[in-house]
This record gives sequence, C-alpha cells and structure tokens, in this order.
Amino acid sequence: MNLGRRIAVFLLVLGLTAAAQAQELSLSLAAGSFRASEEAYRGIYGPSLPFSADLWLKLKGHLGLGAGFAGLSDEGRAVPIGEDGAEYPVKFRRTSIPVVVYYQLDIKAVGIRLGAGFCAHRYEETWKTVDLEFKGNKVSPRFFAAATVALLGRLALFGSATYDTIPTGASSPLVIDVNLGGIQILGGISFRIF
Amino acid sequence: MKNAKVFISVLLMCGLLFLSSFPASRGPLSLIRIPKGPGFPVYVLSRLQIDVRQELGSCLLALADREDIALLRRNGVRFSILTRNAANRDILVVRTDSPDALAALRSAGKAIAVEPGTAVFWTETGSPSEAVPAGLPRKVLSSRTVRVDLRPAVGAGRPAPQAVAQDPLIDMIVDLVSTPNLSSGVQSLQDFQTRYASTSNCEASGQYIYNVFSGLGLDDVRFAPFTFAGSYSSQNVVAEKAGETYPDDIVIICAHYDSTSPSASRLTLAPGADDNASGTAAVIEAARILALYPLDFTIRFIAFSAEEWGLYGSRAYAAAARQAGESIVGVINLDMIAYANAMPEDLQVIVNPASGWLADRFLGAAVNYGPLGATKTVDASFVYSDHAPFWDGGYPALLAIEDNPLTNPYYHQTTDTLDKFNLDFFTSATRASLGLLAELAQPIKAGYPKTPVGLSAAPVVYSSLFNALKVVRLTWSSQSDAAGYNIYRTNLSHLDYIRINDSLVTGTTFTDDDVRTDLPYFYVVSAVGGTGLEGNRSREAGVTPDVAPATAALRTLSSLLLAGGQ
Repeated sequence: MNLGRRIAVFLLVLGLTAAAQAQELSLSLAAGSFRASEEAYRGIYGPSLPFSADLWLKLKGHLGLGAGFAGLSDEGRAVPIGEDGAEYPVKFRRTSIPVVVYYQLDIKAVGIRLGAGFCAHRYEETWKTVDLEFKGNKVSPRFFAAATVALLGRLALFGSATYDTIPTGASSPLVIDVNLGGIQILGGISFRIF
Repeated sequence: MKNAKVFISVLLMCGLLFLSSFPASRGPLSLIRIPKGPGFPVYVLSRLQIDVRQELGSCLLALADREDIALLRRNGVRFSILTRNAANRDILVVRTDSPDALAALRSAGKAIAVEPGTAVFWTETGSPSEAVPAGLPRKVLSSRTVRVDLRPAVGAGRPAPQAVAQDPLIDMIVDLVSTPNLSSGVQSLQDFQTRYASTSNCEASGQYIYNVFSGLGLDDVRFAPFTFAGSYSSQNVVAEKAGETYPDDIVIICAHYDSTSPSASRLTLAPGADDNASGTAAVIEAARILALYPLDFTIRFIAFSAEEWGLYGSRAYAAAARQAGESIVGVINLDMIAYANAMPEDLQVIVNPASGWLADRFLGAAVNYGPLGATKTVDASFVYSDHAPFWDGGYPALLAIEDNPLTNPYYHQTTDTLDKFNLDFFTSATRASLGLLAELAQPIKAGYPKTPVGLSAAPVVYSSLFNALKVVRLTWSSQSDAAGYNIYRTNLSHLDYIRINDSLVTGTTFTDDDVRTDLPYFYVVSAVGGTGLEGNRSREAGVTPDVAPATAALRTLSSLLLAGGQ
C-alpha cells in the first residue's frame, strides 16, 4: 500500500471514529502568504501566495481534528552563479494534505485553535525553457495556530499561522538539503456545516 | 670598567644583528628523482612548491633542500637523492640508448641512470657539455621550475582527429616553397665549415641568418644573446612577422643553426647539413614566403644556437618568454628534416602529452600540404632538441625529425653534407611545416570579413532549488563588416571544431547550454560577411565548467538579495 492510500485509510478511520463524537464540523477557505525558511527559495521565488481548504471537526471537550488540502504555485528565475547573461524561468508547485489534532479554546465569539500534526506534500520544480524538472514527495510535521471570529449565522472570519519544516534530502549547487518549509499566514472565511 | 661593559654590550648587539642578517640555512641543494606512477601526487609537489627542473616520461627531476626533503617525506612522496651537491652546477640530461653509451658517459664524469635510456650527468670541474661523449644528445636542466602537467594526454584513446580542410590560400602558399632555395640555404650554412657554438664561425653564421632575415621585409629582426657553459656566449636570431589581429599571440617556427662533429674536428669542421642546416633553411624559407602575407597571429622565426651543447639557446629564450608572460600558441621545431634512409620516408613528430593537439594538426598538414607521411609519438622523455625548453615553460611544442631513433649515418660527422639529402623529402617536410604554420597564423584573405577579436568564454551555472544548468556564455567584439557570426566548439583544444549555431548569430553574445560539467570546452568564432564569405576563426577561448561550491553560490545569492533582486 503506498503512502497516499495509507493516509486515505487513516483519514477515513479517524474521520469515522471522530464523527461519532463530533460536536461541530466546519469548512474553512483561506489564502495568504508563505515565507520560506530557505533563503534560496526566497531568492528564486520571492513571497508566495498559498491557499487552503480545511475541514475542522470539533470533538467533545476542547479537542478536534483537522484535515484539508493546500496548494502553492510560484514562478521565478534560476539564480546564476557567475556572470549573469541569460534568463531561465522556473516554476514551483506544491500541494499538501494536512492532518492535525488541535485544542480549541472558545472565548465568546472567538475560537482559538492550537495544534500539530503531519502533512503530506507533493512538489515539483520545472524549468520552462529547458528540459529540467524535479518531482518529490515528503511527509513532514506541522504546527499551527488558528482563530475564528463569528460573523453572521454559520459564517466566521478565519485566520491561521502555520509552521512546516520539510527537509527533502535533495541538493543543488545553491542549497544542500533543500527545506521547503516556512511560515504561512492565511486569512479567509469559515462555514459551520453543523 | 663601565665603558668596557658598554663597549662589550654594543659589540654583542652588533654581532647578533650581523648573524640575524643571514637567512636561515636550508642545507645543501640536492638533485632528487621522483618517480611517476598511478595516483602520482602532483598536487602535493605543487602545494609544497617543489622545484621540479625536468619532467621525463617516468619521473621528475627536482632540486630540493633539507626542508623540501623533510616535507616530501612527511607527505609520503617517494623519491631518491641523486646528488647532495647540485647547487651552482650545470647538470645535463643525456640520452643513453645503450649500455655502451652509459658506460662512455660514466667514463667522462658522474652519470646516473634515471630511467631506461636517460641519465643525468655532471662533472666536478669544467663544462659537462664539453665532457659528454660526441653523439650523445643532451639537455641542460631547466634554469627555473618547470610546469608539470600529469593529466592524461589530450585526446588519449579517442579516434584520430578530423583533418582540417585544405585551404586553397595555404595550398598556394606552400606551393611557393622552392627546393633550390632550400638547397642554397643549406649550402650557405654548410660553407661556414663549422658552426660549433663556441666558434667565431658560428657567430658569423648567425650574422648570415640575421642578414637573410633582414632582407625579407619582416617587422623585426634581432639577436638574442646568451651565455652558456660558464664562459661562452652566443646568440639566437629572432625574426618576427607581426600579426594584425592578434599581435600578442605568437606562433614559433624554429631550428638550431649550430652544429657539431667529433671532438677532434668540431672546432674546424662540422658542416651539419642535415643537423641542422636543413631545419634552419626551412625556417628561412618559411619566413621568405610568409613575409608576403598579412596574418592574424604573430609568427616568430627563430634560429637557436648552442643546441648541441645542451639546448642553451632555446633554454634562455623560452625562460625569457615565460618570464615575460608571452602567449605562445605553439612551437614547431625542425631538427634534421632532409635525410631519408628509405623511401617513402615519413616524418616523426614528437610531442609531450600536453602538446598532442599540435602533432595532430601537423599530421593533417602533412597530408594536405606535404604531401607527406608523418607519425606522432608522445614521449615526454624526448627532450633533446629545442622544443623541450618550451615544454618546460608549459608551452605546446613539437619536434619534427626524420627518424627516431636516428638512422642518418652522417649524424654529427664531418660528412653530414648537402649531397646526402633527399631533396623531395626535404621539400615535402618544409611544405608540411609551412602548411601548419600558416594554418596556425591564419593568412588574412582580401574581401573576407575580419577575424573576430575579444572572444571570452565564461562558465555560468544557473541553479534553482533542485536543478542546475551549466552553460558557457560567449562574448566578443563586434566587427563592422560582419553580417553575423558562426560559433565553433570542441572538447580538444585546437582540434575537431564543430559549428554549434543553427543559424547565423547576429549579436555578439552566445550562450551554449549544451555542456557537461566533466568536460573542457573550447570555442572559436568566425565572422560571415554580407556576401556569405566566412573569415578566419578567432583565437580560442576555453572553459572547464564546474559546479561551484554551494557556499559560493549562496554568496552570489546573498549579494543578489542585498541588491534588491528577487
């Protein structure tokens, strides 16, 4: 069984188990900014604009489970080592599936979540004008803090700050052991399903 | 009493100052032999700054003091000490092809075999050059550290190179070689009776060569005097045809004009027709012909003296050229090119590993312009003619010689005269040499666009997070008469160029992104005129694209970020 299937089965079991005790299920949609911890990443791609869609399942008490989907797509240009002359545009894409456990504290209309978990990443770097590409995947730890502020009815404002560390083990002349992690700040809305 | 104390103190201080003015003694200077072999640590020798004075096929000869010897031992370099008293003495490398030759050498002084067929030789008193038995080729050790390059021979193990296409202009040039001119040139030199380097006849023959060069309309003719073997002096004769496009890049064609014969006769009779009036006459003939043509590169026509004593003339010249940082593209040394023991005779072309390309080009020129058979031999131990000091200086150089080993029975005899020549072979050898010389110097063709200048090649590594692309960026100066440019590339310097641009390049930059990290690349550029005529190729520019260390890359990246780059 490959990694993707294992995660899917794990999610299904976890979801079914958790659903039995579920108090609340909400969906958040958010977008924001990602600051890579790798200097080379920032040099090539600059600040990124990630987006995410997550389901938040609050259990009895303060604990909850979260899972979702996130994406990131960046464009930049390869860094010349030596006298610059030509330009080689490059493109980077990363998709992530996080599964987290969190603790939620509700203070009136504000819900604060602190949690950690794992995230499965699939990434791909492509050179647009030269036949060069790199693909990889990695499961890495994730830490996050999120908050919701109730608006009207089932709608709420949603914000989160996430830290990932994603050592890939791959290297290039620019970086030894590329780490795709960093800090992600997102903002959006949350919709309470039940 | 007090004054006495002061006086003694001052005296002691002066004594200390006097002693401290002497450099720390590093002990006697030894001549050592360092064997080559698999995994030979040439970088260690370079790092330790070992004073290598001769590279041979299987070993290096170096001068080392006590500190050097200790360093070599500490670094695990194998070596043996040949003599502990090598300071301030001429030491010769002598060819000893037979046990008898080695025995004869040992009877004349101190001789130690350093590899099969090669010995080092010196004498406690007098000039070792004069003590070496007649007929044994010899070379004095380099006067300064030689450049050791133990990389595999260029092009080793690859297929034979493509011959450079025959050029109609060069074909026309070699057709101007005149057999009567060659013969009369040899006869004139032979008529000096002897050209043994210590004689006034040799000096007179040098003056004769100077006068001939002076009458050819060359740009510069001069004597280059030098001293040798302690108390003697002589002079090389140097003539120059300045290049119009690349005046600082020099192609040399040379031959020694001094001669020798057995010791009983050499001061009065040493006609040296084959050795080496033949090579000298060929150099003069090349000068006569090429003086008529404008050239891209500078040519120096050189007649060396004191070759027979141990290459003293060329040693002085090559050392001065290296000292001056001269850019010498290649050296064609002609030594004995007129005797044929059997027909068809072929010419032997001898090079060291780093000069392999030059021999390959000679072989092509021999076919195109001789026509003549030629055989390439890579032998770093063949150091017994005027090409060898150029090898010592790290310059590409070849020796063209009729046979190796020699078969001329008149070699170093009083019977080495013009009547023993095969003039057809002599003419073909001269044509082939002139053909290569012209190929390297590039005659400028009327009506063709000018040769591009200012070509530079810089390796650039472009890196993303996970991938890297190595490219070579070429730039050159614009030519007003060029409609565009062609770019040629090779992995073997000066050989097998292949055009890499699909269509004419209209700018003055080109990026070659089809390169590997583990190969050297060499480029030349030619200009194409509006009528489609393609001019001569530029001087070569080369790179070895290596992936820069990540630290350097990050430095670059940081500077970009600081500069406000993305």
